[in-house]
Amino acid sequence: MVPMSMIQDGAPPLTAAERFHDFLQRLVPYALVIPGLVFVLGVLGYAVAGGVVLSLNETDMFLNQTFVGLKNYIDIFKDPRFQSSLWKTIVFVVSSITLGIALSMMFALTLYHVGFGRRFFRGLSLVPYFVSGIATAVMFRFIFTTSGGFVNYVLGGLGLPTPSWLGDPVLAFIVAVLANCWFMVPFATLILLGGLQTIDRDIYDAATIDGASGAQTFRRITLPLIKPMMGVSLIWVSYISFSTFDIILALTAGGPLRATELVSVYMYQIAFLQLDFGQGSVLMVVLLTFNTVLSLVYLKIFVFGDRRYKAAR
Amino acid sequence: MDNTFVEFRDLRKSYGALEVLHGINLAIGKHAFVVLVGPSGCGKSTLLRMIAGLEAITAGTISIDGRVVNRIHAKDRGIAMVFQSYALYPHMTVRENLSFSLEMAKTPKDVMVARIERAAGILHLDPLLDRFPAQLSGGQRQRVAMGRALVREPALFLFDEPLSNLDAKLRVEMRAEIKALHQRLQSTTIYVTHDQVEAMTMADLVVVMNDGRIEQSGRPLELYDHPATLFVAEFLGSPAMNLLRGTVVSRSPEKAVDVGGGILLPLPEDASVTAGQDVVYGMRPEHLAIGKPGQGIGAKVSLVEPAGWETHLHAEGGGHIFRVISTKRLDVVPGDPVSLVPDAGRVHLFDAASGLRI
Repeated sequence: MVPMSMIQDGAPPLTAAERFHDFLQRLVPYALVIPGLVFVLGVLGYAVAGGVVLSLNETDMFLNQTFVGLKNYIDIFKDPRFQSSLWKTIVFVVSSITLGIALSMMFALTLYHVGFGRRFFRGLSLVPYFVSGIATAVMFRFIFTTSGGFVNYVLGGLGLPTPSWLGDPVLAFIVAVLANCWFMVPFATLILLGGLQTIDRDIYDAATIDGASGAQTFRRITLPLIKPMMGVSLIWVSYISFSTFDIILALTAGGPLRATELVSVYMYQIAFLQLDFGQGSVLMVVLLTFNTVLSLVYLKIFVFGDRRYKAAR
Repeated sequence: MDNTFVEFRDLRKSYGALEVLHGINLAIGKHAFVVLVGPSGCGKSTLLRMIAGLEAITAGTISIDGRVVNRIHAKDRGIAMVFQSYALYPHMTVRENLSFSLEMAKTPKDVMVARIERAAGILHLDPLLDRFPAQLSGGQRQRVAMGRALVREPALFLFDEPLSNLDAKLRVEMRAEIKALHQRLQSTTIYVTHDQVEAMTMADLVVVMNDGRIEQSGRPLELYDHPATLFVAEFLGSPAMNLLRGTVVSRSPEKAVDVGGGILLPLPEDASVTAGQDVVYGMRPEHLAIGKPGQGIGAKVSLVEPAGWETHLHAEGGGHIFRVISTKRLDVVPGDPVSLVPDAGRVHLFDAASGLRI
């Protein structure tokens, strides 16, 4: 028995040429995407593969390569300066993520509730992101310079001690974290704000009637519903914090006493000042591995592994 | 005995300089099913949100069960609300949606389970309890939203256009379910809709709102049969009432209304109008009969809508369009001449200037 929907009143079936034409039309979006994809993957793949090859070779100043296997890796992992920079990087990343996500969430919630001048404030909040890393660092130097810096000017005015912010290892590290957050928070805020805006406001009204307090609403309603965006912001802040280089270089140049010498800064020192491309590339592979693994963990926890998120879509 | 359960006294709402509710006064009895109906922007949803505690009250008072609730938090007003968008928590299962308010109120586990079981039983949600809202149909989501309200065991149910997102067939089914639920639970209910059919079919008391004011409130058929204003007359009834502007003329022995185009319409015997008075003459479509040729208003059929159980006609005569409902299966086609005979005893007369019923 032929279903009713299959019966075509006098319409002839599609010819092979028409079917082929339909097929081609469905291919168009893929045809438009593929060149860009190939280009991006090609450039990235070439750089990563090149880096991995360099890390397995010793390269002299004439760029002659000698295969040395894992020697560069072994040397680097035994290097106390690397161990110290890796440890600092981990502390730097964890502090930046904690502070950065907390600030981003706070700003996103604030901007979500801003009624008057909404567009203006949202636009304004992105400005730090458009300022280059070097300019950010210079600005922070102005703010935290020991004599004549804004912070010490205010502290002095209040009769408080005026420390040497960029001269003290711990304080310099804190200033570096602040500068890094200043740069990365706006974009993370934008991602979280996008998430907040997808939540139906009626849901908040329902939660109010159901008796949820502000904190309960945030924990039970808002957070679970923006979990994927939280994952994406975490990828962003982790990636930026692991890879940050220009801000640190211009702010402290890794000092004082190597207190802010993160892996990325040490990589620059080894590869471009000591011209040891092999060991420099090992550090690139280390950073890449950290970033990739963390991103996958975030995606697994916040996006793909979340049964509730999938169910909600 | 005073049966009042919810009362609004000179209730006002302003956004800045703009006043959107202009002094609402209304008393709602215990167990009543009240429908606030009116066009978009008339203030009905704002009023409901003020009762719920989601909008601040600018002036006046709302009392629930004898207690002024102006400064009482939404969760402590003893209300539950069903939203147009259902507003289910998308990341929670149906069971978690139902239990959320109880968890917030720190309800003991056994009471919680019992209430969820009861609500699920009443609304046939048992097979759906472990599903997420996205896995449910529109009607099922609507029932979950009602379940979420039900578990709170509220003294007052609020519904904000709950059926607007459903298709026509489901809407009729859910209408009956909500009504049946009310008959079973007897909780006082305030229901907002812009659909006059919902208002007429569901309410014990219909409150017609327009432009931030109550136009008229009363039992559905009372409003249908005796609309107090032109707005109510026009708003209630589908197809809408035929309303024709005209002037009262003396035509011995009785008066009539001249609506132009050579059409004189008969007035009820007790109509207190004076010759020369400008009026609006209203006739419900079902009170216009098809008469014999030469009798009544001469018109020409312009549209025929056979609905099965009745036939809707549009007919043109004297520059007016008349809407007619006949329970007979009429054998007419567009262009056919018809004679329309108004039932003079069921005519509605309104003062043309004030819009008030005469």
